[in-house]
Amino acid sequence: MSSNLVELARRHHASGEANAVELLAQVVRERGELTAADIRAVAARTGLPEAAVHGVATFYDDLTAARGTRDVRVCTGTACFAASGEGHVHALEDGLAVRLGERAPDGSVSLGEAVCLGLCHSGPAVRDGDVIDAGPGAIERVLAGTARPAAEPAARSLLAEPVLLQTGDWTALRHALTPEALRAEVEASGLLGRGGAGFPAGRKWAFAAAAAGEEKLVVANGDEGDPGSYIDKHLMERSPALVLEGMALAAYAIGARHGFVLVRSEYPASKPALQAAAAAARAEGLLGPEAGFDVTIVEGAGSYVVGEETALLACLQGLRGAVSARPPFPAERGMHHAPTLVHNVETLASVPGIVRGGAEAYRALSPGATPGSKLVCFNERFAAPGVVEVPFGMTVRALCEDLAGGLRDGHAIKAVQIGGPLGGILPAARLDTVFDLEPLTREGCMVGHGSILAFDERTDMRAVARHLLRFGAHESCGKCFPCRVGLHRAHEMVAADAPVDRARLEALLETLELGSLCAHGGGMPAPIRSLIAHFPDELGLA
Amino acid sequence: MPRVSIDGVAVDVPEGATLLEAARAAGRDVPTLCFDERLAPFGACRVCLVGLEGAPGPVASCTTPCREGAVVDTRDPVARRVAGAVVELVLSELPEPPAAHTELAAVARELGVGAPRWTGEVHGAREDEPPHPYLALRHELCISCGRCVRACDEVQGTFALTATGRGFHANVAAGIDEGFRASACVSCGACADTCPTDAITEVSLLALAAEGDRA
Repeated sequence: MSSNLVELARRHHASGEANAVELLAQVVRERGELTAADIRAVAARTGLPEAAVHGVATFYDDLTAARGTRDVRVCTGTACFAASGEGHVHALEDGLAVRLGERAPDGSVSLGEAVCLGLCHSGPAVRDGDVIDAGPGAIERVLAGTARPAAEPAARSLLAEPVLLQTGDWTALRHALTPEALRAEVEASGLLGRGGAGFPAGRKWAFAAAAAGEEKLVVANGDEGDPGSYIDKHLMERSPALVLEGMALAAYAIGARHGFVLVRSEYPASKPALQAAAAAARAEGLLGPEAGFDVTIVEGAGSYVVGEETALLACLQGLRGAVSARPPFPAERGMHHAPTLVHNVETLASVPGIVRGGAEAYRALSPGATPGSKLVCFNERFAAPGVVEVPFGMTVRALCEDLAGGLRDGHAIKAVQIGGPLGGILPAARLDTVFDLEPLTREGCMVGHGSILAFDERTDMRAVARHLLRFGAHESCGKCFPCRVGLHRAHEMVAADAPVDRARLEALLETLELGSLCAHGGGMPAPIRSLIAHFPDELGLA
Repeated sequence: MPRVSIDGVAVDVPEGATLLEAARAAGRDVPTLCFDERLAPFGACRVCLVGLEGAPGPVASCTTPCREGAVVDTRDPVARRVAGAVVELVLSELPEPPAAHTELAAVARELGVGAPRWTGEVHGAREDEPPHPYLALRHELCISCGRCVRACDEVQGTFALTATGRGFHANVAAGIDEGFRASACVSCGACADTCPTDAITEVSLLALAAEGDRA
């Protein structure tokens, strides 16, 4: 990331104004599209070069697609795909008489794509203006102009005392531990980052605490938009105070006075929920000058890769959400060049429970497995989809059958994808695999974000490969060459109406895995490898 | 001062030096595409991959710092195979083979890359790029290495260029894509000087090169 642009972004932030991404998104919301004059105006307002603002305007999905007076966005995430293939997209194209990604010539309506709206318990989902509808009849209601808000998912914890499924009452913060003791407690808890990489949180805190720098920052990554996962959405919207309390604890532990949350624009209710919780905390003196810590809630503008931490920081600064090589790691030099502790929302939400109950009790939640608890969520193929807080160490079968009730309407699981689009796909025959980091890794899978997404027996696995690679190619930030070109080529290979040359595909997957700069290009091959291993015939390999 | 081993040769490098710098200090050539020693390392092209003992896979030498005792194999077969494949992918996105005098062509020769195994969509020429007296921008030859954008930022401090789009459709633009003339460009030529593909050229040099290629 350009040091000069970061410095300009830092100076602009000090002015207290919204960043360039948010300013551009506001113009699109108000006027439907961006003009050259808008770009120049945002450049003047933010102090960023005009070219840089143009680069931002061409990066984010929300900024590139022109909107009609009525803006409809259909979810093309994997849960909606598992629910209806592409049928819901075609139905909207036909019903609205506009192609996906286009706006009617008279400007009356536009049909955009959102990946994903986080209503995976009830797909297919579609957003009509400010209303997100989902589930059976949603498409028909949108076409009839009678969309209604979808029901929120059920949530429950298997723990006697839930760590994550609680609202957050700021009592952990009042436990007067020293920063050192707090860091030691989190280290002793064995908490691993919940965003996918599983890095020990305590070690990250130690790096950030030790990093040189007058100003330090805490960032909550609320933009891990893994299609099929609605865990962070649930936490931000149902337990926003818990997330903020976790941030305040982390800030206290590392000596940060300010924090940022980056929220996905695909979850329109998340930013208001967090803002309301922050306002309530300020009124109590729990955030703000007296508390010595405050937060800014920022909304993204449509980019999956912005869930990667360096891209996340770029977006927070109002720049193109492209990935940067590490080192430097954000903990030494991150947002505004300050040491920055970046954590996934669920990781931060785990902290108050650890502080209240103690590290030992936290570790004891999952005997013989990864410490602590994890939220998992199920897609609408299941009889009882929803969010469940579980210990590590159950089998995937127990999760799918005992907790989620198996599939509905008598369907059978063909395979499950766990942890998002970068996660491997476990065929039905391997459902006895234990849900934990190592056992899943051995199957070419991962815990990832904790989503458990079933494909039923009718699913065409070549279509799954096409769906995943279309997503992967579209979301590539375009920085590193293997991902930028390789995912496009991989998608072309499986989208073609021809057998897939196995040797060429595998050489391409190796190039992506070993060559890519971040986990997007490096991880997209995992589900494709699973399909090659378990469904070679359906994939049409030659 | 860390001491590292490059292909079996011990090299002492300054604190903070990268594996690429160490390799070059040891006289070992490592091909690169997005690297320019005048600019901060970028880590985009992945052509400078090398083997590093203890690492789970090849690492980009331009962005990996030297640690004491690092053992580097610049000819690691996996690293070379992946780097070659990446160059193949790059060739596959261009509508025509790179001109022989370009850095891209030289890197392809060095890695022994021939016709790409993967083919498909290529970048199309744009007819709407407004002309400029000294600089020419052919978007279809851009490989998004970011060198022009960074030269304009880090060397010239003009910020007239930007990366645009994302994924396969990433490219560059002058100003707000209204051409060099309408941008903040001061015609310094740093972008053309660093471009490894002839996507940005100085108009006069382009003519000379064309003559040279014909000769």
